[in-house]
Amino acid sequence: MPSLIQSARCIVSRSQLCPSQLPILDFLAPSALSIRQPSRLHSTIPPSAEPSNPPSRQNAEKSNKPPRRPLTEAQKDFLDSALRVNQAGELAATLIYTAQTPPIVRAHPHLRPLMKHMYDQEAGHFDYFNKLLAKHRVRPTAMYPIWQAAATALGWGTAIMGREAAMACTEAVETEIGEHYNEQLRVLLDWAEKLEKSGEGVSEEFAVLIKELRRIRDEELEHLDHAVEHDAKEAKPYELLTNVIRGGCRTAIWISERV
Amino acid sequence: MSAIQAPRTLVRSQLCRDVRRRIGKVPQRAFSSSQYLAQHQSPTPKSPQDEPGTTHFGFQTVAEALKEQKVAGVFSSVASSYDTMNDFMSLGIHRLWKDHFVRNLNPGRNPLTSPPSSPSEPQGWNILDIAGGTGDIAFRMLDHASTINNDAHTTVTVADINPDMLAEGRKRSLATPYARSPRLKFIEANAEKLDMIPDSSVDLYTVAFGIRNFTHKDVALREAYRVLKPGGVFACLEFSKVNNPLFDAVYKRWSFSAIPLIGQLVAGDRDSYQYLVESIERFPSQEEFRDMIKEAGFLVPGQGWEDLSLGIAAIHKGVKPLR
Amino acid sequence: MYQKGVFLRQPLWKQRSAYHSYEHPESPPFPPAESAILSASLSHVPDHGFTSTALKLGARDAGYPDVSTNLLPRGVYDLVNYHLVTQRLALRDALQFPSDAENGKPIGVGSKVRALTLARLRANAPIVHRWQEALAIMAQPGYVPASLAELARLADEIWFLAGDTSVDMSWYTKRATLSAVYSASEVFMTQDTSADFVDTERFLDARLADLTKVGGLIGALGEWVGYTGHSVVNVLRSKGVRI
Repeated sequence: MPSLIQSARCIVSRSQLCPSQLPILDFLAPSALSIRQPSRLHSTIPPSAEPSNPPSRQNAEKSNKPPRRPLTEAQKDFLDSALRVNQAGELAATLIYTAQTPPIVRAHPHLRPLMKHMYDQEAGHFDYFNKLLAKHRVRPTAMYPIWQAAATALGWGTAIMGREAAMACTEAVETEIGEHYNEQLRVLLDWAEKLEKSGEGVSEEFAVLIKELRRIRDEELEHLDHAVEHDAKEAKPYELLTNVIRGGCRTAIWISERV
Repeated sequence: MSAIQAPRTLVRSQLCRDVRRRIGKVPQRAFSSSQYLAQHQSPTPKSPQDEPGTTHFGFQTVAEALKEQKVAGVFSSVASSYDTMNDFMSLGIHRLWKDHFVRNLNPGRNPLTSPPSSPSEPQGWNILDIAGGTGDIAFRMLDHASTINNDAHTTVTVADINPDMLAEGRKRSLATPYARSPRLKFIEANAEKLDMIPDSSVDLYTVAFGIRNFTHKDVALREAYRVLKPGGVFACLEFSKVNNPLFDAVYKRWSFSAIPLIGQLVAGDRDSYQYLVESIERFPSQEEFRDMIKEAGFLVPGQGWEDLSLGIAAIHKGVKPLR
Repeated sequence: MYQKGVFLRQPLWKQRSAYHSYEHPESPPFPPAESAILSASLSHVPDHGFTSTALKLGARDAGYPDVSTNLLPRGVYDLVNYHLVTQRLALRDALQFPSDAENGKPIGVGSKVRALTLARLRANAPIVHRWQEALAIMAQPGYVPASLAELARLADEIWFLAGDTSVDMSWYTKRATLSAVYSASEVFMTQDTSADFVDTERFLDARLADLTKVGGLIGALGEWVGYTGHSVVNVLRSKGVRI
């Protein structure tokens, strides 16, 4: 059996980057990462629940640990749909920023670095989830081309309505996405806690996923803060616009979890 | 042994209401003499402290000792109109279910395609049909073994707790080729205590539309496990839970309002039919019963059951592991 | 009248086991008793075909009485399915591609797909004279969804083992086209009388070549649409249209 897994793994590892080689663009936003106070969203996860074991210590302890059990069908289904939704969401996010950038930058050239910064982070997230999907054999959403079209239309449409509308769109989208990542993290941390308790220990796979999801969520919430700083609330009609976009996001998440 | 001999005197106060009503009804029931017999069996005194627990009789909660008797009463009174009753309960398709049940089990050993590898090996299956009084399943099993698998050795033992049902089965067997052959046997036995059947001796244990009347289903399942050979199969056909909510509403309406009424009109016996409807409602769902089978030590095939007609009935199976 | 609940309750589009973990082991595909009966039954398939006789003989070999075949709710389809699943899983070990460094130059995903598909077809060789029976069983209405799902899992396995990492719409088209090519070749193979199935190999190569042609065409078309679209937008922007 180990030989099966190894052979599969060697094929994968040849063709894939390991997550640690991903471009991490945090240095572009030094302030945002340290001062994350003004966000309207607060993580529901207490900081103490973080898996504290560094991977190296885990490996050293492996000898006297009970063997790992297979994931349950429910766990696999959760991870499957979670990763699929995340990829679809990041695909949409990159396309929204791609479509927004030309009209916004033309009208407000000073926003060019911000738009580029946000786009680059989203592209990084998208890349991360693409690799994760391929590695863990998760099917991409069958709505792929439809999300492509919808996201481009949304980005372009709000950008044409003006800077405030574009920022309101970012605010609405990132609010939904932030909440969505928080829900996923809550489940994953719950599993991690149970694995710790059973003595099995959190697999490196999960530990890395939790760490990366946290980083990505924080970056999304940082975009949310940028949007609010840039007068998202001035958009007219603000309530209608954000509610429609948030409803659309929730629907898209619901669909992507399933197909 | 059988419920009929159980402590009638000591539970007289609880029963006398039923008895009086049944006696009152005798003249209307032209086609059955069975209750008369049932009511005049000599009672065996038994202390009520022996059976302190209670169980369900339809929707009523009754002393466990009483359930056997009450069930016996029901089946004694419906023995001859048994098919009519099943027709109502299954909307007339219980015959198709039974055919499917038997065809699916494919009883019998075909001497051409799978001859015994050694002379000492039995040439046919040893089938035990529990609660099979009227012989419905037994005749089908023997027919299938003979005509489909060319097997002239498979035997069926029909066991029932109720002598009236057995008498009905014996009577019907006269119309089949198995009436006086050693391939068909009738015994009076309680499914919870099959002392006359040795351990690991049965290939196939079947119970069709019977298990919901057992007082202790778990005890009966353990007893089935005991008598089955390793690799032997427990197969149960029983009314179950309809899984489509819309159809469930319609079916409930039918079974709770129409069937007792029809029972009254056709068989002159509303209470027995009321019990049948309620006992079906009381019976565990497909998943719960599957888990009970697993609990008794069986391996279950696939999800553990097959729904028939949207779940009006279901076939549950269990296989005794080799060791 | 009988509800085939077991087979239809699984949604059709749910074609694969979700999320593949590298640290948590996979559960075995079959429980031990079923596995014992089915693996013993497979050895009777060349003589008795995919029939209940093969199942009974297999059960006997495994020490079970004939009646134990009731452990397999779908009967002979379970036997066909066992062959499909075990051969799919065996594909991981069937081929070991040399790493790019050993080989000097990288082996393309395309040639890996070809090698894997061929290896899977060859796994049918010992029972190919019985395979039409299996195809007939798979084509029974109750079993079609399960058979198609298993075909999709095979296509997914091949693309995965070949190292394909695309996770956009081509994920679907690649699996759909490979499924079509594989099943056509499988049917072709049942009629193939050539030595060592060289005709099947040729047939497969021709189908794969068709695929690359069509795939290339679609890809080129997509590129052209994208390029033209961008040019139109840029021209309009240069004329001062605010888009």
